[in-house]
Amino acid sequence: MSSADDNKVTLTIDGREVTVPRGMTVLEAAKSIGIEIPTFCWHPKLKPVGACRMCYVEIEKMPKLAVSCATEAMPGMVVHTDSDLVKQGRRAVLEFILLNHPLDCPTCDKGGECDLQDLTFAHGIDDSQFDFNKYRFIRDKKSTFDDYRLGPEIIRNQNRCILCYKCVRSNKEVFGEYDLGAFQRGNITEIDTGPGQQVDSIYSGNLVEICPVGALTNTDWRYNIRVWKTQKVNSICQYCADGCNLTLWKDRQKIYRATSRRNDAIDEGWICNRGRYGYQIANAEGRLTVPLIKRGERQENATWDEAIELIARRFKEIKDKKGGVCIGGLAYPGLDSASLYAFSKLFRTILNSNNVDFRIDYKMLPEEPGDLYTQITSRKFSIAGIENSDVVLVIGSNLINEHPITNLRVRKVVTQKGAKLYTLNPFATKSGDISTDEIIYRAGTVEALINGLCVSIVEQKLASDTVDASKLATRVEPNTVAQAAKISGVEADRIVGLAQALGEAKHITLITGELLSTSITRDAITAAIMNLALLCGMAENGQIGFLSKYANSKGAEKLGVMPLLSDSLIAEMKTLWGGYPEQKGLGADRMILSAKKEEIDALFVMGSDPMLCYPDGQFVREGIEKLDFLVVADLFETRTTQMADVVLPLSSIAEMSGDFVNLEGTVQHFDQAIKPLGQSMPGYDICNKIASALKEPLFESVARMQPDIMRLLLREENPEIQRELREVKTSVEQASGEYTVPLFVVDQAHHFAHLTERSKSLSAFCSEAHLELSPSMAEKLHAETGTLIRVESEVGKVILPVIISEHIDNDVAVVTRNFSANPVNDLQMRKQRVDYVRLTRVEEK
Amino acid sequence: MNFIRTVIIALPKGFYTTLKHLFKKPVTRKYPYERREMAPRYRGKHYLERYDDGTERCVCCGLCAASCPADAIYMEGGETDNGERFAKVYEINLLRCIFCGFCEEACPEEAIFLGHEYEFSDDNRDSFIYTKEQMLANRPKEKPFKRIIRKVRRIF
Amino acid sequence: MEKKVLFTYIDDPAQVKVETYVGHGGYTAWQKALKQMKPADVIDEVKKSGLRGRGGAGFPAGLKWSFVPKDSPKPRYLICNADESEPGTCKDRVLMEHDPHGVIEGMAIASYAIGSHLCFIYIRGEFGGPIRCMEQAVKEAYAKGYLGKNVFGTGYDLDMIVHTGGGAYICGEETALLNSLEGERGMSRIRPPFPAIEGLYACPTVVNNVETLASVPHIINNGAEWYTSMGTEKSAGTKIFSLSGHVNKPGNYELELGTPLSYLINDLGGGIKDGLKLKAVIPGGSSTPFLLPDQLDTKLDYESIAAAGSMLGSGGVIVLHEKTCIVWVIERLIHFYRHESCGKCTPCREGTGWLEQLISRIERGEGKPGDLEKIESICDNILGRTVCPLGDAAVMPIQSALKLFRDEWQYHIDNKRCLVKSEFAFA
Repeated sequence: MSSADDNKVTLTIDGREVTVPRGMTVLEAAKSIGIEIPTFCWHPKLKPVGACRMCYVEIEKMPKLAVSCATEAMPGMVVHTDSDLVKQGRRAVLEFILLNHPLDCPTCDKGGECDLQDLTFAHGIDDSQFDFNKYRFIRDKKSTFDDYRLGPEIIRNQNRCILCYKCVRSNKEVFGEYDLGAFQRGNITEIDTGPGQQVDSIYSGNLVEICPVGALTNTDWRYNIRVWKTQKVNSICQYCADGCNLTLWKDRQKIYRATSRRNDAIDEGWICNRGRYGYQIANAEGRLTVPLIKRGERQENATWDEAIELIARRFKEIKDKKGGVCIGGLAYPGLDSASLYAFSKLFRTILNSNNVDFRIDYKMLPEEPGDLYTQITSRKFSIAGIENSDVVLVIGSNLINEHPITNLRVRKVVTQKGAKLYTLNPFATKSGDISTDEIIYRAGTVEALINGLCVSIVEQKLASDTVDASKLATRVEPNTVAQAAKISGVEADRIVGLAQALGEAKHITLITGELLSTSITRDAITAAIMNLALLCGMAENGQIGFLSKYANSKGAEKLGVMPLLSDSLIAEMKTLWGGYPEQKGLGADRMILSAKKEEIDALFVMGSDPMLCYPDGQFVREGIEKLDFLVVADLFETRTTQMADVVLPLSSIAEMSGDFVNLEGTVQHFDQAIKPLGQSMPGYDICNKIASALKEPLFESVARMQPDIMRLLLREENPEIQRELREVKTSVEQASGEYTVPLFVVDQAHHFAHLTERSKSLSAFCSEAHLELSPSMAEKLHAETGTLIRVESEVGKVILPVIISEHIDNDVAVVTRNFSANPVNDLQMRKQRVDYVRLTRVEEK
Repeated sequence: MNFIRTVIIALPKGFYTTLKHLFKKPVTRKYPYERREMAPRYRGKHYLERYDDGTERCVCCGLCAASCPADAIYMEGGETDNGERFAKVYEINLLRCIFCGFCEEACPEEAIFLGHEYEFSDDNRDSFIYTKEQMLANRPKEKPFKRIIRKVRRIF
Repeated sequence: MEKKVLFTYIDDPAQVKVETYVGHGGYTAWQKALKQMKPADVIDEVKKSGLRGRGGAGFPAGLKWSFVPKDSPKPRYLICNADESEPGTCKDRVLMEHDPHGVIEGMAIASYAIGSHLCFIYIRGEFGGPIRCMEQAVKEAYAKGYLGKNVFGTGYDLDMIVHTGGGAYICGEETALLNSLEGERGMSRIRPPFPAIEGLYACPTVVNNVETLASVPHIINNGAEWYTSMGTEKSAGTKIFSLSGHVNKPGNYELELGTPLSYLINDLGGGIKDGLKLKAVIPGGSSTPFLLPDQLDTKLDYESIAAAGSMLGSGGVIVLHEKTCIVWVIERLIHFYRHESCGKCTPCREGTGWLEQLISRIERGEGKPGDLEKIESICDNILGRTVCPLGDAAVMPIQSALKLFRDEWQYHIDNKRCLVKSEFAFA
């Protein structure tokens, strides 16, 4: 009987009635009431294909067995999931699958979590009538087995493959990669890469997780341990700000692997390779386990007491002599919230200094608190909410590199729901492959382009009526589309086309990334984008995401690990701590400038590596060299720790429990997996020890501190954005002299900041810095992949091997910065908006 | 009368019983010089078998450890030069072990067996954690002539 | 009886040229449909004529066209399925090589009927000759204005693309053909959604066989009643039968539906070769069950053949004389199906492989007792349990052979050699 509500369908499964939304399949309807129908080729996030035939059910009035993953639930259906015919059908399918399946269970890595093992045990027969030799996909006639390495991390054994096609389907439908495919047909079908290719996309680890049997296996898990020996720990990825949920699998004091812990609000069960293989830094070789104190020229092992005593003594000296303003603190925004809070509290209550900051990769930060940028970033952004948009605009972000999982969500809304993607970047990126128009602007001209867009929207009379657009022409410069086209190098009709799409869109998601947020003209860019948002009505029908970069950047913002805070946040801190230093604090780059001028004598760096990451290598080196006293706490030896007077061993994220706040503003908790390695300590304990030695402890226990932390993290600041067009003036720097190629410093696809190069698997993907060039530029330099090129700027030079890009097609140089052997920040200058370099080929001797 | 029964008859009867055994073969086994032969299925100390060409049979599948009721087996897997799976670390704690033989039954590769050795007492707990090298079966027996040559060489 | 409709000018080598074709009355139906009929009228006419799909399924063509939703904003596509790979069938290649314009005209009218402005003809990759002929004919049709923009000045645009397949029998199945045309692996899709609602690029699509489409101009020219006057009540019109096997005059013959099978084999085909007796006939391409000599009077139309226990299918009639070992025939067939299985669903992929191993073992004389029961149970597990009909096609001849010729199979197993001393067998 059909129910009165047209959108719902009532059917009977195994004698139980269930009402489900129209369009749901029988399989999902059964799942919703707890009846599990066995499947191999069905996955909640992929389109059903009906390939494995395991999900048979018997439906009355249908002559044959039906596959429940592909049959839509119809009103009045009577379904039996466990009748004799269904049981016989399942046994037959299992017998067919096991015909040529090898008896590999003792050596197969999937044993213990294998779908085929579990389902055969539940539904199969224990003897087969097949009495021929099993077919073997011979790789090498002399060896006894057929494992084949498809990529740095994936090993394939085709004999075990049951051809559910989940790997090739997810690769194509969800990730948009084409490096894995099926070859041949029939029962000799092979899942393989193209000849000479490797499976090394950033999502390739998911293919191993999705394989139901041991056909695709990971190298980092190979033969190490059986899954039933391990324990699962809930964790959160410590790299980018997407905040994917992970499960760490550990036994005793070693972590063996990380897999996805599906969270439909953020990652939908997919994680990128950084999160998947980045756990390895916890157990990597080279972890600092004892404090080091520099005596003479060398750094020698010391005890915690010695180190803390030295730190306390020196800090006290400096504070007493010149005041707390001479001590600065730099925290790594990938630390947990408790450590960041303790850091801020240490400086503000004990050292009486406001010099704390986490924004170590920004050039010349603006200094006003509560500016428009902060107003926008304090608004909520929802990754799942991207699915409501019909236009997605990405400005200044290589989305697949910076936020791989947000990129998947954008892919989903574009490929499955027909939304339109527009990207505005200084060079072409992979995420732009599915875009309706990929606009490349001349480096350093983005606000001119956005002003042009605003002007075009007003000219086409598509502006939202919530804002007064009449004064636009006087407020922005350039104020004609032609002028904007000339400055930015984009054809005028493309600007007009994009403006039309934005004006006619019903719900827009705007995303910006690292290429904008770290720029010195951030204020102008923010004002321009705000104008655009107001004119398109994004405040009502859309969302604006100035996506934060690190795992806990948003947490650091909310906890106030910044020198200048809004008045309301200062008031909160006064309530919590009873006081707040009055002197104006200094931001990260101002701190280093002051260090250079010898106004700051001591610096406490917790977790970051400014020598590698700050975008002006010479500047930061000069600044740090002039310091009287440098304390660095980190996991490994880095360029910064080598210059420190005291080095403290820091515990990694897996060795403590804590919270991260992801780019949406969601607070997510992660649990401790292993004990702190050696004598390392979590950041909050280090701060507490220093505070106790100086004056008094910051907290009795972390648990007691937690309510204060949560109070700050859950504070909602929803400032009303003035609906008024702002002034935006453009100033364009011209490249001069011999240095004409714009330089962009980015993270390599498989790496993030300064920690991941210690991970063995991620280094297998890429282990050295390189220069990415368009094919035309490479030809001009007569370079092929691997040729060494000297990259020179006014202030420094680096020699890097070339990689010829598949996407970039304009004259830019893109270098990767994650490798301490080749610090590319020597090329950058903090006062310049765009760095220009010259490329010459290194001649072989 | 009683005297005859107790002394004349009973005493020689007793002496005779004792004297009879003077000439009988004693049932005492002179351990440790003579050892009793164990039943073929006797469960003694474990040993890990090899194939005829010398390769270890154990592939570190973990089934013996999973079936052990006393949780006495610990192993870590690794990859040989050929890319095959083998046990890098394989240890049995013989003080936890209850010698039930479940590991032998569970092994799919016929790699672990409980042999006939029962003489392995020691005076400290640590030496009862037997490693793989201690349990690995010997290489195929050499010919006696070769064995003598090897022993002579070792002296010089 | 033999009746030439599609084969009227098939022996004229000049028929491939557009001038000759027009001289023989070609492209008048296309003009009539565009200028005088509405698309709904065309569909009605074809429905009334009772034209059934000639590719094997026998589904009424007009009814299939009427499934296309009238109000969908998406573009429609018409696809001509020229991937003729059914063993025993060779009729479409003759039509494409000797009367390509007839096919083009039929495709044009069908496109107009469903409202399509882009049609494809998917030709099997091994058909070098037909591909060249069709490409040349399409070029000529464009040159003369029968295709392209504003045909006959009515404002209707029609583009036709000749696409070559890569060489797979499975791409003759309509959903695998759609996948192959989209550039993906030729594997079948699950239905629902049906191609008429969501086909090529998720747009409404109609897939028809070459012969079906070649019949359409004749129906439009001469009317539905003329077509129903030929054939039987439920199977109207004429069909081309490809006669092959042990007959004296194999070849393509166009007959009215309802002609007795004996007429085809004895009168047109010249009787059994070498004067031997008939053993079995496969009436509709290799996927259909056998017919025995006592069923020789069966009329060649969809209903009568179905009543006799087989299927008319694509009309590829294969004749086997008494010196043929049935086990050897089945071994050839199952080898073909195993080789052509696409590999998507488990029963067909693994089942055909296992069947091939079992049957070739029996044929070689190494069969074990219990093999026949195994084969029967595997066939039961494949039939009706697959995504596309290839699984059923592989299994039906085997089941039919086991039912009708079981003693031959038993002889192979018991005596380890052939019952019939054929010159081809191994034993």
